[in-house]
Amino acid sequence: MSVDNGPLIIGFLCNWCSYAGADMAGTSRAAYPANIRIIRVPCSGRVDPLLIVKCFEEGADAVLVAGCHPGDCHYNEGNYYSRRRFALLRALLDFMGIEKERFQVEWVSASEGKRFAKIVTKFTEEMIERGSRKAS
Amino acid sequence: MGSDFTQQIRDKAKELLEKGTVECVIGYETGSDGFSARPAFIYEPAEVERLVFDNTCSHNLVKYLLNKKGKPTAVIVKGCDSRSLNLLLSEKQIDRDNIFIIGVVCPGVVEWGWNNRSDQLQIRCNWCRQHNPVIYDFLVGEPVTEGPPDDFADIAAMETKSTEEREAFWREQAEHCVRCYACRQACPGCYCIDCFVEQLDPEWVGIRIAPEENLMWNTIRAFHLAGRCISCNECERVCPVNIPLSLLNRRIEREVLGLFDYRAGMSEDAVAPLITFMKDEKLGIGE
Repeated sequence: MSVDNGPLIIGFLCNWCSYAGADMAGTSRAAYPANIRIIRVPCSGRVDPLLIVKCFEEGADAVLVAGCHPGDCHYNEGNYYSRRRFALLRALLDFMGIEKERFQVEWVSASEGKRFAKIVTKFTEEMIERGSRKAS
Repeated sequence: MGSDFTQQIRDKAKELLEKGTVECVIGYETGSDGFSARPAFIYEPAEVERLVFDNTCSHNLVKYLLNKKGKPTAVIVKGCDSRSLNLLLSEKQIDRDNIFIIGVVCPGVVEWGWNNRSDQLQIRCNWCRQHNPVIYDFLVGEPVTEGPPDDFADIAAMETKSTEEREAFWREQAEHCVRCYACRQACPGCYCIDCFVEQLDPEWVGIRIAPEENLMWNTIRAFHLAGRCISCNECERVCPVNIPLSLLNRRIEREVLGLFDYRAGMSEDAVAPLITFMKDEKLGIGE
């Protein structure tokens, strides 16, 4: 699984849960493919659809947004808003030719390091199978 | 229909201007080709004879109310336009007290023809379920019975194509786009003081001529109207290169209807789906 030739995945992780979850994956030595480039954001509710569309425009093969589980948002309700927003964005992107599998939203808590590693590994494998967007 | 509607509108406009209820009546007049309607701004009672209403009255005049903030104004709205009025009222962009709404039961509007009056109804009239204005102070015409719910056949047809075909389709449309932003300027829902497309830092949409930038613009334009688009389809009508923007708008509209059972602009105190939430809803995200 070479990083240079593999899919490029951009990950937006919320500071309070998912970024800490990714950190937990590191401290507990749970390996995951380095195809994901992680960007730390204050909240999954901060992830503007512009960011997602821009990622795809600039050549990303896939985008992952991860935030606190519903009910656990540090700001109480940020992820509820992002859930609605991304449900619509996903449908629109799929309609415009970016398969919905390429845009994934997951809830990862700070204690779920192993789960984060599993999610990224599975996502990367799926994207390898699907192939690069540029090649298609 | 035409002359009767026209007369009722003229009479009402005259009354409003004479009484001083409003400063201006925004309506339609016959354009320079002799038959196509164009927007008209009537300030004097003597001028009301210019006003007309027929099936060429395509423009959504609600957009102009944003230029008339704080001034008592009357506006002529068709069914679809009336929904955009509700949209602007619910978003606190216009003041109900300053507006007199002349609602017209819409007979459907026709395509614009070069030097010839067209009989071809615009595509928006095929999916229209709002011939009767949803909000008005004075109604012209008898309310009609609306058709059965829209089946979104155009969207379904597009979805029978593969993802690759759809990507190629939109890529080609993006190659046609000249980014004149006519779609934005015609849209009653696009009124941001600073549009993301003109921002330089971050520069979301580059100035270079490239389909990627055009696609970025078209994707976000459609998304910023998610749960707000009232399908007046003015964006598509004014597009100089005929990009089928209604497909994007309607794809989201169908999703909004399916997930949230919501139609934009149906009441003046509606809460748009993206500014609220339900804690226990299942939307297929992160499940």
